[in-house]
Amino acid sequence: MSGALFLGWRYLVFHQLKTAILVASITLMLFLPAATRVLVNDSAAALTSRADQTPLVVGASGSPLELVLSSLYFHAEQPPELPFASFVELRDTGWAEAIPLNTRFHSRGSPIVGTSLKYFSFRDLDLAQGRLMGMLGECVIGANVAARESVGVGDSLVSSPETVFDIAGVYPLKMTITGVLESNGSADDDAIFVDFKTSWVIQGLGHGHQDLAQPAAAAGVLNRKDGLVTANASVVQYAEITPENVAQFHFHGATGDFPLSSVIVVPPDDKSGALLRGRYQDNNQGMQMIVPSSVLNDLLDTVFTVQNYIILGLAILSLATIAVITLVFLLSQQLRKGEFHTLSRIGASRAYVATLIASEIGFVFIGSLLLATGLTFAVRQYALQILQSFLSL
Amino acid sequence: MNLRYFPVLLFALLLAACGGESAPEFATADVAKTRPLIIASNFPLYFFTREIAGDSAEVIFPAMEGDPVNWKPASEDIARMQSADLVVLNGAGYEAWLGWVSLPDGILLDTSAGIRDRLIPLQEETVHQHGPAGEHSHQGFAFTIWLDPMLAMEQASVIEQAISELVPENQQAHRARLATLQARLAALDEELRIAFAALADQPIIFSHPVYQYLAARYGLNGVSVHWEPGEDPGIKAWIDFQEVLRRHPAKLMIWEGQPGDEVAGQLEQLGIRSIPFHTGSNPPEGSDYFDVMKASVDRLGE
Amino acid sequence: MIELRDIDFRYPVIGGFGIHIPRLSIPAGECVAVVGPSGSGKTTLLGLLAGILASARGATVINDTDLAVLDDGQRRRFRIEHVGQVFQAFELLHYLSVIENVMLPHYIHAAGADRKDVHQRALQLLSDVGLGLKAGSRPGELSQGEQQRVAVCRAMLNQPALLLADEPTGNLDQANKQNVVDLLLDQAQRNHSTLLMVTHDQSLLGSFSTVLDIQSVLTVTTGQGAKAA
Repeated sequence: MSGALFLGWRYLVFHQLKTAILVASITLMLFLPAATRVLVNDSAAALTSRADQTPLVVGASGSPLELVLSSLYFHAEQPPELPFASFVELRDTGWAEAIPLNTRFHSRGSPIVGTSLKYFSFRDLDLAQGRLMGMLGECVIGANVAARESVGVGDSLVSSPETVFDIAGVYPLKMTITGVLESNGSADDDAIFVDFKTSWVIQGLGHGHQDLAQPAAAAGVLNRKDGLVTANASVVQYAEITPENVAQFHFHGATGDFPLSSVIVVPPDDKSGALLRGRYQDNNQGMQMIVPSSVLNDLLDTVFTVQNYIILGLAILSLATIAVITLVFLLSQQLRKGEFHTLSRIGASRAYVATLIASEIGFVFIGSLLLATGLTFAVRQYALQILQSFLSL
Repeated sequence: MNLRYFPVLLFALLLAACGGESAPEFATADVAKTRPLIIASNFPLYFFTREIAGDSAEVIFPAMEGDPVNWKPASEDIARMQSADLVVLNGAGYEAWLGWVSLPDGILLDTSAGIRDRLIPLQEETVHQHGPAGEHSHQGFAFTIWLDPMLAMEQASVIEQAISELVPENQQAHRARLATLQARLAALDEELRIAFAALADQPIIFSHPVYQYLAARYGLNGVSVHWEPGEDPGIKAWIDFQEVLRRHPAKLMIWEGQPGDEVAGQLEQLGIRSIPFHTGSNPPEGSDYFDVMKASVDRLGE
Repeated sequence: MIELRDIDFRYPVIGGFGIHIPRLSIPAGECVAVVGPSGSGKTTLLGLLAGILASARGATVINDTDLAVLDDGQRRRFRIEHVGQVFQAFELLHYLSVIENVMLPHYIHAAGADRKDVHQRALQLLSDVGLGLKAGSRPGELSQGEQQRVAVCRAMLNQPALLLADEPTGNLDQANKQNVVDLLLDQAQRNHSTLLMVTHDQSLLGSFSTVLDIQSVLTVTTGQGAKAA
């Protein structure tokens, strides 16, 4: 019967267009639901994995989902700010490690994440090049940022102003890149990490200028009295932090009031976690403590429901596709009656002709199956990148 | 398109898709540290830490010129601090560089945090504000805490606790060495008390406002100016100095370092003896803290 | 040697066409042109000889093998191995190359033959008919005369004892008609095959040593009984 397989194969090869259309149709029929499932499952796993790695998050009272999305995925919507003093208070309880986050700012679409060095060990982030930031104005970028902006260690990025007209507010600060992170398929790949104090400089809460005690800065002095020097608007302020001028950077006002977006809290054990959660129950002092995985599970339930509807729709479409393919096939057999008659007259049995037909069907289905499998594997390999590009997660 | 090789192509695609990137082997140069690394922000703290730690830890005082209070750590210094297990800080605003460096919270040890109530607020500090009605901060404490041996003992105690947390198996040894250090500080305290007692209540001028703890501990009647050793203060400063002398007829001026001969001579003419009293914040390499202090005590006695 | 005895065949439909052959003998190696009017049973006769059709009774012996005692599968195998057929409409498979069309009997039933040997024989046959260089072409690229020559090669692949041609020149122009007839005769002689060729074309009869009037060897029957020839 190998002759029948050979004839079946030659028939498909000769009718390239028809074969290609059939294979493409069946491949899509198999691939689309599989890919949907892979994308949804893999994205859910990635989201859940990142949420599972983040035991607790503290933020100002408001939408828990917004808090999770901004803390874990640096999503654009910003939750209400909470004061730095709340981070200090959390840290000083000794019940958990606390990691501050300030995710208000962006640079050419990439989120600027103001945080502490502890974030990198917490997220298990390794450097591909360079070193972690050491001083104000330095930044470490994710792998995707480096690729997208074609920048590396020694280059710089500038923070984006929030509005064109806010000339006295958010600071377009030039940040020097000291390190590039290894890609790890998470939101960290698309982020720019700075010390949280740098994010305050961007916000205009800190700045650097000429030393007003020096004669060179005399033109910038409005008034000197009782050890209090009042500067005027002409004092030269620095738009870039360099090793030469970094010591001139300082903050005005009480640091405790300075803003953060959220705090990641990592208790060493369940007891500490329970103590902390009890403390922040009932929106204590306008703050909330959430468990990211719980918040995300609610979201994912909705996503899975939508997925099921999509797959159901695809299944119905597949039935229609199968019907059309069957019709095409039957019509094709009708047209080939003469060919089969010739084969029979030469000596082919009914079984032989049936094998010939079956081999054609088989080749098409196997080919489609292999192609669909290959494409599904490819989607699985790049699922996270696909999701990140489409969903900015 | 010749589909003759379609099955081969499909198989190749499947292989390519299946054979995804395997996780790269991390060739981390994982050099296991044999001992914890401790970095101190000035010499007295370095000395105390080294004395207490012994062989338990590698203790480093970063190479720097001039007074550590003015230190601007370079990126290599910052990187080394980031990799340290402990950074011993004086606190009280001594380390201005903390405001602009990135260091992990957990490794910073503020040795004066527990004695905040005993710190001396600064009497005069030039601060600045922006705009006529802007913020106005009067933060700041005197920071030469270690010059009061009693406060230095508190700092040393905090250091011992931190080292013992890092190397708990050597806790007994740390405590023994702490006791030894504290005994030496007590002895120094006694020597200073005797030396300063000889001065009774006589007015003293301090070349720089860095002796607040010394003055408080030993009841010194001192007033500070802002003169740098080795520099001529300038005519205006001399005029202001005369004004200070009128209110505070001192016969002794205590300097951070050796004054220039000309200035010392002019002071002699005014009947003022100049005595260098190093704060010990950054003595020559290889110095012993107690030797440095002893030398200052001896000079007082001359 | 071909011998049909007491053949009584009827197509399995109500009132179906049938034929009755009391006796027909054709010596081995003979080249016979079969003539007769339409509906006289020529194609049915060829079908019986090829084993495509089976008589309810009687014997159809081809070189000592009585097809009547074989089952369908055996008759098919016998047909592939011992009977070559050439059809009026050439009936080449458009999706196979010329040489693959010649090898078609082998693809249907290899009978233990090595494919390389069969390929070599097919190539030789094509060369013999002047189509060696077109072995890789598709039937659609050949003229009608060339296509029929390929069909002849296909029929000769297994060196059949019996070569049956049913109006092989029906779709050809005059020049090609004679060429194909000459080719059939040549191949039959080379292979010592017995050739039976059905034709309506009187101009071709002169090439045959024997002309068989079908009406002289069989009678057509219908559902109402035998009709005299």
